[in-house]
Amino acid sequence: MEPRKQQVMTTFLAYRNTLDAHYDQRERVIKCSRDITALSKKMVFSLLRITQDSPEKVFKDVEFKHNQVLELFAKMSKEMQGSNAMKYNRQATPGIQEYIEAVGLWRFLQHNELITKKQVLESLTIESDGNATPLVSVTDEDYLLGISDLPGEVNRYCINSIGKGDREAVSKCLAFLRMLKEGVSLVLSVRKYNNLEKKVPVLNSSLEKIEKAFYSMTIRECEMENINPATISASGIAAECNMDTS
Amino acid sequence: MDLQIFIDLQDKFDQETSLYEGINNAIKEMDRTCRLASAKLTKAHSLPQEQAKDVTESIKPQFVTIKQYIGELSQLIKPETFYRYHDRWTNVLQTACALVAFSIYLEESRLATPADVEEYLGFKVNTENADITVFVITLEEYLHGIISLFNELSRLAVNSVIVNDVKRPQHISAFASELYSGFQLLNLKNDSLRRRFDSIKYDIKRIEEVQYDLRVRNLI
Repeated sequence: MEPRKQQVMTTFLAYRNTLDAHYDQRERVIKCSRDITALSKKMVFSLLRITQDSPEKVFKDVEFKHNQVLELFAKMSKEMQGSNAMKYNRQATPGIQEYIEAVGLWRFLQHNELITKKQVLESLTIESDGNATPLVSVTDEDYLLGISDLPGEVNRYCINSIGKGDREAVSKCLAFLRMLKEGVSLVLSVRKYNNLEKKVPVLNSSLEKIEKAFYSMTIRECEMENINPATISASGIAAECNMDTS
Repeated sequence: MDLQIFIDLQDKFDQETSLYEGINNAIKEMDRTCRLASAKLTKAHSLPQEQAKDVTESIKPQFVTIKQYIGELSQLIKPETFYRYHDRWTNVLQTACALVAFSIYLEESRLATPADVEEYLGFKVNTENADITVFVITLEEYLHGIISLFNELSRLAVNSVIVNDVKRPQHISAFASELYSGFQLLNLKNDSLRRRFDSIKYDIKRIEEVQYDLRVRNLI
């Protein structure tokens, strides 16, 4: 082969190696992101069982799953150092958002507050040789999109709570969603942000469902207050229905 | 209290807006400069090879301007956030690389290397898949620039015959087919690089047709 052609082939082989390394790294991030998504969803399912299991049991289970998720983040962390964090953010963000949704729901159920980005990063921090840095970085967009997915899950928790007659839980959910709606609207007022805009209809419909459910609950309670179940006896009902009790 | 989170985010986004303005302005100016240089370079298609140097000299001022604006971008962007904003300027940098590739071919009938790009545009081409610590021109941007060269070459082959230059198309033919072999080594994914790579074969075809036309008429 002539020298010029040889030169071209050698340089392009090097370029191939670089591109291959990049694509492979990107694939690894995608795989980690998928695994993180799956496990985060399991965390959410665990958390939603709080209306049927004891809180201690639920939080212990979630803690266990959380440690498993951290292992996945540790794996992903290797590919996301320095400038690579933003380079592969598009591939990592689905997992990160799903995770934020999970820890966000956890925080709401346990402490009745909205998790902050700082707290998210703290949850991703593990001590290793005196160094305490988060395993991955979280952008503002990751954080916003993650918490804007909370209404759906809070809605589920709320409906389950209504079934248990837990008025206090419903009231907390309502306040939480109203606050989220106000916050998201505030952010959208400064910046056009399509991905966040898409979440707004879901947020609105979740809020509406909870308000309706709370309304029904309140009406039923008013009704129940006017009837004292203890005074209902067999003869009383029979008299109402003109039945023969003899 | 919870609402404060959103108010703080609002402020952060407001601050970022001024950064976006700086970036967009630099990109706009670079884009204009690239178009001007591109318009000047098209003259090379209507002039014989000996006069190519005049054309490439005429766009040196544009390269100075482009270098300056890339410098501005590099001042605005921290390396850790490079990829957060990278999509904004990637197209104009691809065009800039294409200008370098065509200029070098016109002047020296060879392939522009990353070192050439660094000389003309003032910043290194990142040929490794590693964490970056300075502003760089990405390998993809460089490759996009080289792909643009194929289109210029196929036009140049045709236009050379028009000015009665039959030697140049021969060089172009050998050069282009070597370069194409190099490109065919790459494992590309379904992205813009792959799509533009797919268009190379049409330029190769045109170049080969010029060769054939000349051969068959015993002009070479």
